[in-house]
Amino acid sequence: MSATGKRRQRPSTLGRRGFLAAGVAAGASLTAPHVLAQGHGRPRVVVIGGGAGGATAARYIARDSKGEIAVTLVEPSRAYFTCFFSNLYIGGFTGLEDIAHTYGTLAAKYGINVVHDWAIAVDRDARAVTLAGGAVLPYDKLILSPGIDFVEDAVPGWSVAAQNAMPHAYKAGSQSELLKAQVMAMPAGGTFAMVAPPNPFRCPPGPYERISMVAHVLRQVNPTARILLIDPKETYSKQTLFELGWEQHYPGMIERIGPDFGADKLRVDPVAMTVDIDGMVEKVDVCNVIPAQQAGRIAHLAGVTDGRWAPVNAADLSSKMDPDVHVLGDAAAQGDMPKSAFAANSQAKVCAMAVRGALTGSRMFPARFANTCWSLIAPEDGIKVGGIYAATPDKIATVGGSISDTGEDRATRKATYEESVGWYAGITADMFG
Amino acid sequence: MARGPLMILCLAAILAAGFSRVGAAGDVELGQYLAGECLGCHMADGSDHGIPSIIRLSEADFVMALNAYRDGLRAHRVMQMIAGRLSESEIAALAAYFGGLE
Ligand SMILES: Cc1cc2nc3c(=O)[nH]c(=O)nc-3n(C[C@H](O)[C@H](O)[C@H](O)COP(=O)(O)OP(=O)(O)OC[C@H]3O[C@@H](n4cnc5c(N)ncnc54)[C@H](O)[C@@H]3O)c2cc1C
Ligand code: HEC
Repeated sequence: MSATGKRRQRPSTLGRRGFLAAGVAAGASLTAPHVLAQGHGRPRVVVIGGGAGGATAARYIARDSKGEIAVTLVEPSRAYFTCFFSNLYIGGFTGLEDIAHTYGTLAAKYGINVVHDWAIAVDRDARAVTLAGGAVLPYDKLILSPGIDFVEDAVPGWSVAAQNAMPHAYKAGSQSELLKAQVMAMPAGGTFAMVAPPNPFRCPPGPYERISMVAHVLRQVNPTARILLIDPKETYSKQTLFELGWEQHYPGMIERIGPDFGADKLRVDPVAMTVDIDGMVEKVDVCNVIPAQQAGRIAHLAGVTDGRWAPVNAADLSSKMDPDVHVLGDAAAQGDMPKSAFAANSQAKVCAMAVRGALTGSRMFPARFANTCWSLIAPEDGIKVGGIYAATPDKIATVGGSISDTGEDRATRKATYEESVGWYAGITADMFG
Repeated sequence: MARGPLMILCLAAILAAGFSRVGAAGDVELGQYLAGECLGCHMADGSDHGIPSIIRLSEADFVMALNAYRDGLRAHRVMQMIAGRLSESEIAALAAYFGGLE
């Protein structure tokens, strides 16, 4: 089976515009490569958000289309701080500079047009994205991977204006640094409080790994300190594994208040530094508020959300509202996958394959997805939960899974931690080249 | 139309990609797609930061390792789960793709 044979069979799956663009690009590549280099006539993909989903999608499309597709990546930050391993930074297992990544290789080696700006509007009829700086980027396919924004008034008393007094550290970088500094500055015997978010939210084990890392630090520098976990959920990811680990490593330090004790009736005061749990007011020294979440704002502005998230088709992550828009990662309502970097990276590769297929007639393959989320409870005590997934007509559906055992020996836990370090190197290389 | 020369070019590309790899019976393009799932963990440059390299394994060792995970003869939950859904031809495709990386 030749690629051209496939291309002949597939025009019906291409939009009229996409097909013409593909034909022009393929013809041009034979006769006038210099025209290509200037970016004329090639099908155009614009990716909004240079995180786990967006950077991966941009890199795979550029790498595999070998210049046939013009890829533009819009990302305001010049350095992306990974949320993954930002808890390990708080725990002292890695430096802030070790979780920072830049976009130079994507531009230099893969020819991606990296634009450091915010997308502020999407005109789906004109197929164009407007940037805060005023530029307009036309596209044939648009990929949105903007991550999350917080739901306003989700935690009464808290707002983004108060995030310096009560950090979320759920977008990494200066917030992570701030939270760590606050933990280190706690008075002896002081109280660290976390307000955990309701489902669904990015990184289901993330808040509980953070509790572990804060406990690890406090045990060393402030052993009489107290940790208060205020959680509106009945249960959470890897709960038994975390709670057994806390009993073992940090006995008596962590108290969890669930919805049965009013954690769902909460108000915070960032000036007085108090939390009011169903009428019981506590003075705290650090308050890490992780509010309820929704798709990044640009997904809402693009009109591809239904409620808080953007519904997508499982086979190619295309929006249920527009076949020329794809939504990846945390922002997407896709089915069973957790909102993780691993999942966003996995979805990006399926999306990249499908977008290339649609624009250039390259071969298409059935979607398949995977995820593994590691968490560190204490030094060399790593746990993980993983799943594999397939596309069904209505969602990305789980087809298998695995989770660490409660009775594992120390060697296994150590190996699990070491594996997570390997994964960090792997996924960041897969995202940024 | 540019179709004629295009077809020749594509055929040439396919010949180069498919047949220049000694012993690669697997479908390299399929392998490249499937490899996306592996490269979130295994480094494409063959370095090892806590997860072993899989690009300098012989094709036989590569296939044997995946079969061992799939059949539960080699213990590792995540690799068992991942290998568990790979068919013979998918494993051959992956072997062909990774065998060609350097
Ligand atoms: C504490 C913590 C620990 C975590 N640990 C893990 C872990 O161990 N493993 C794991 O797999 N996942 C982990 N995660 C989850 C992971 O970080 C996210 O799921 C992942 O980053 C989602 O990828 P994304 O592409 O959807 O969004 P992001 O990676 O957040 O990327 C979105 C990007 O879009 C940009 N953007 C937003 N709006 C615009 C706009 N209008 N214009 C241009 N650009 C825009 C942002 O600047 C950002 O860079 C963790 C998260 C947290 C908070
Ligand atoms: C979640 C991370 C992860 C993913 C994804 C993953 N692997 Fe692995 N792989 C590992 C780990 C960890 C090991 C080492 C396991 C052990 O100790 O046996 C391993 C081992 C292997 C080995 C044996 C290496 C040796 O030296 O014997 C092969 C072959 C392999 N993987 C192939 C693959 C292929 C092919 C894929 C994609 C289809 C894949 N892996 C996806 C984590 C992963």
